[in-house]
Amino acid sequence: MSRAYRITVKESESRHLKAGDEICTQLEILEILPPEDMAALLREELKKRGFEEQDDGTLIRQDGDLTVRVDPCSGEVSVKAETAETVNQEARRDATGFNDVGPNENTLRDRVKEQLKQDLDKKFDQEQSRLQNKATEELEKKLTELQPEVSQIVNQVTREALKQKAQQMGTVKEVSEDAETGSLTIKLEV
Amino acid sequence: MSRAAAPQNPEPDGPRPVSKFEFNLLRILRFVFGQLPADQGLQLVRAGIARPACLSKAAVELVQDTLAKGCILTLVREGGWRNDPFLRQNAPARGRIWQRIPLDERVLEFSSHLMEFLLWVTAEKVNDTKQVWNPPINELTPADEYFLWRFFDACRMDPEIVTALRNVDAFRQNPFCWLASPGEIVANEEFTVPDFQPLLSGLRVAMLECLQPHLASRWLRSERTKGQIGDWKRMRLQGRAEFTMLQSFLAVVEKANRTDLARFILKTNAAILNAEQTPEFWTGGLQGSGPPRLADRLDTQRAALAIPRQMVVLERWQERAQYVSFFDDDYPASQLWKQEWEEAGGDRVAARARQVVEMLEPLRTPPGSGATATAEGHPADEVRM
Repeated sequence: MSRAYRITVKESESRHLKAGDEICTQLEILEILPPEDMAALLREELKKRGFEEQDDGTLIRQDGDLTVRVDPCSGEVSVKAETAETVNQEARRDATGFNDVGPNENTLRDRVKEQLKQDLDKKFDQEQSRLQNKATEELEKKLTELQPEVSQIVNQVTREALKQKAQQMGTVKEVSEDAETGSLTIKLEV
Repeated sequence: MSRAAAPQNPEPDGPRPVSKFEFNLLRILRFVFGQLPADQGLQLVRAGIARPACLSKAAVELVQDTLAKGCILTLVREGGWRNDPFLRQNAPARGRIWQRIPLDERVLEFSSHLMEFLLWVTAEKVNDTKQVWNPPINELTPADEYFLWRFFDACRMDPEIVTALRNVDAFRQNPFCWLASPGEIVANEEFTVPDFQPLLSGLRVAMLECLQPHLASRWLRSERTKGQIGDWKRMRLQGRAEFTMLQSFLAVVEKANRTDLARFILKTNAAILNAEQTPEFWTGGLQGSGPPRLADRLDTQRAALAIPRQMVVLERWQERAQYVSFFDDDYPASQLWKQEWEEAGGDRVAARARQVVEMLEPLRTPPGSGATATAEGHPADEVRM
């Protein structure tokens, strides 16, 4: 007589998932002074804004999961978002077998385990995708915040460079700055 | 009045008799030179027919005649007829191709590999064959390469045939295929750009001079249709192939001081950027939000702008040309470049190219916030930002 039985298999797994996104771009630094002088001005301005100089000459600022790296010599900026999470996932499957026909219990159990593994992989893929979206969203948000600051840095470096250039050209008589319009007027005698 | 002597080799009264195989082979040849409708030509390339042991004398003569006339006709039509200046011995030479270059430097020679290729194309179903034609590429002559590019170009409407041809080194490493359609010659991200150095000497350089107007119009058409590409992966692959090829080609051209051979790139840019453009001109057709990573999306968009990004190199050439003095060896060449740059409105085109490329940059400074300096007044000079 055929007797049915049911097998329930439960699997759980924990994985450490990582996701990241990064963009690289170039700062628009005008060549008012020689490149090394412009790099020095940029370095000073970045340090004032919390960037720390590294051994390789680049400056880094860490904002939570985000890292902003600037190379003052080349003007290259990279913004990197990284996120990591340890994710636990659980999956459960039931299977019915018969004692006289079809696969035996061990075979059935192996088959269900294989299916469970695929279920878990799928769940982890979804989690990976969620983490990736999170990292990208953070990066996009950060870029929006960073854009005005980058403009200010570039403007400040340009102002300082213009002042130094003016000093090299002659005697500076008057320097006036308008914070509202951002205009800088330097009167000099040559 | 004397009677003219009868010609020694009179033309036959009617068409010369050939076998069915030879007839197909000759029709494929005519298809490559645009003398047969594309659908009929592609049908022949896709069809197979039993290969004979050898060809008749009449067929061989007809193949020779068609190759000779077809290649010359297309080269002349594609730009050889034009009276454009090109550099010869570092000085501009004007005239049509047959006036600029002596006959012995523009003789087309075809190798036996090309005949073998024609037999293979006629006998096999190119899109579905295990018998691959794969000759050693160093044994191919410049004329072979030119013909093979024409063949690839004629078949590029059929994706299956293009896929089959991409696997053949004679196409994959063909510099003409790369110059005309880099996006179609690459199958995946693992590609290698051929060495363009051989293009700058001998018969190949004469061909490249002829092809300048044709390449400009090809690139212009390709750039205009880029806005219809919806697939991000395809755009990225095409853009990367174009960018890598153009960089490699420009480096070789610069090293050889043959800046006139990059005329098609300058003209393509001038035609596209005759008005201010936005990146949407190239990327407007991309469907959906694209890859999940911002880095990949940005990479694809940057790749799409492969042509305007070359203006940086051309602008650098222009700056260098301005500093060449009358007594320098490069003076005539630099004068020719400056003339071409001026005719194309190079400064304006370069500024527009820079502007459109910067629009993609995520941290770009808003327009108008850059520094401008003016000096006025006396005795005190005033510098404003």
